Amino acid sequence: MSLKSLDPRVTRLELPENPTEPTPKPELDQLITYEVFHQKKENAAYTYVGPVHAANEEVAFLFGKEQYSRRYACTGMWVTETKNVMVTPYTDEAVSVYDVIRIQPENVTENVGKTAENYEIFHLKKRGKAHQHMGTVSATSYEDALAEAKSQFGDKKPCVNVWVIKAADMFRSEEEDKDIWSTTKEKEYREATAYRVLDKITKYKEENPVA
Amino acid sequence: MNTEALKDLLYKIADDQLILGHRNSEWTGFGPMLEEDIAFSSMAQDKLGHSLAFYKILHELGEAEPDTVAFTRNANQFHNCQLVELPIGEYDFSLIRHFLFDNAEILRFDMLTRSSYEPIAKVATKLKGEVKYHVLHANTMIKQLGSSTDEAIERLQNSLNEALPYALGIFEKSKFDNELIAEGIFEGEEKLQTQWLENIKKVLSQTHLELPDLNTITPKFGGRYGEHTEHLQPLLDEMAEVFSIDPTAEW
Repeated sequence: MSLKSLDPRVTRLELPENPTEPTPKPELDQLITYEVFHQKKENAAYTYVGPVHAANEEVAFLFGKEQYSRRYACTGMWVTETKNVMVTPYTDEAVSVYDVIRIQPENVTENVGKTAENYEIFHLKKRGKAHQHMGTVSATSYEDALAEAKSQFGDKKPCVNVWVIKAADMFRSEEEDKDIWSTTKEKEYREATAYRVLDKITKYKEENPVA
Repeated sequence: MNTEALKDLLYKIADDQLILGHRNSEWTGFGPMLEEDIAFSSMAQDKLGHSLAFYKILHELGEAEPDTVAFTRNANQFHNCQLVELPIGEYDFSLIRHFLFDNAEILRFDMLTRSSYEPIAKVATKLKGEVKYHVLHANTMIKQLGSSTDEAIERLQNSLNEALPYALGIFEKSKFDNELIAEGIFEGEEKLQTQWLENIKKVLSQTHLELPDLNTITPKFGGRYGEHTEHLQPLLDEMAEVFSIDPTAEW
């Protein structure tokens, strides 16, 4: 006898009614984790929205879009591998992280021959909030980028944590593909708020009082 | 404006979207990984939304209400190509179908944004971004899986070989192709197929997949004029199950 379900898709799978224990499989490799940043409206700062795991950055971008652009308006997305994020220590809100961390001054001779490149700087204002993009600095290393960030954004308080990411490590949505973010008004059924579940529960409780 | 030609064009577009949208929604809860499950489900919703937009234009041209059109016709009254009605199979087949179909769909939308019939041009312009994303999704997954493990490549290649005759059926010529082209409503299936072939070749060349020689393939035509496989009617019955019991049901 195969399994019969109210869901015809399940019935079509012709699964045995009493499945045997699955045979143990060798442990699989884990996929890579990526961090996703979204832009909620044009010209707004990119903000951290959450992680995804995927096989490469292009797939991570798709999954980021699926997971993080359906619930709120979104006009752009950045994705980077978790290992590309340089994280400073955390402080509490009274103290800016820039006042606590010791930034090694770059040795002038060490920098000879190093070419500067762009780094993206993100600040966390408060624990539990999301990191927000402050701007881009040109630097020769993460350390140098942090020093540069301190001089440019050090006065922006509170700041309990900083992320530094090489601009080249950021996979970004294309300007010419802006229209993939546009959603139509008729799609309210996608929003959690479109389901008036609580109203139904209240009504049910009124009609069926617990004895 | 030739209304019969317009309706012919609109029905095939809307029916393709409705049937493929329904098929892809069958992946909800069954996807190969959570994110893909969500992706397939939300693209399926997009497709249903697109079909509604085109059924509305048909309604303005005197056809029945969208729900009536979607839920009360029999298989032989549908104009979708046979490709979209085939069962979802395993994920490799659904992915290949999605790739072959949406690469044609984006070109069709692109042509329709330039349509001389304004309501079509408006809808196509409004919804094109979603189709663009569907293509981005399809091409990314095909590039990734089509150059990954031997099993993935073999599965995708078998599905590509199986789906291709049906995919060529997307481009079955309309009785009205010449009128539609002459009136600037739609640039025609032949042009569409030529561009489609170029685009899918570009993606496949970045994988280990090989496009079979199209000259050796007989396209599966007939869908545009009501000739369907045994799979369409059961799909319609299932889709209309609630509507048949209670046409006024709300949820």
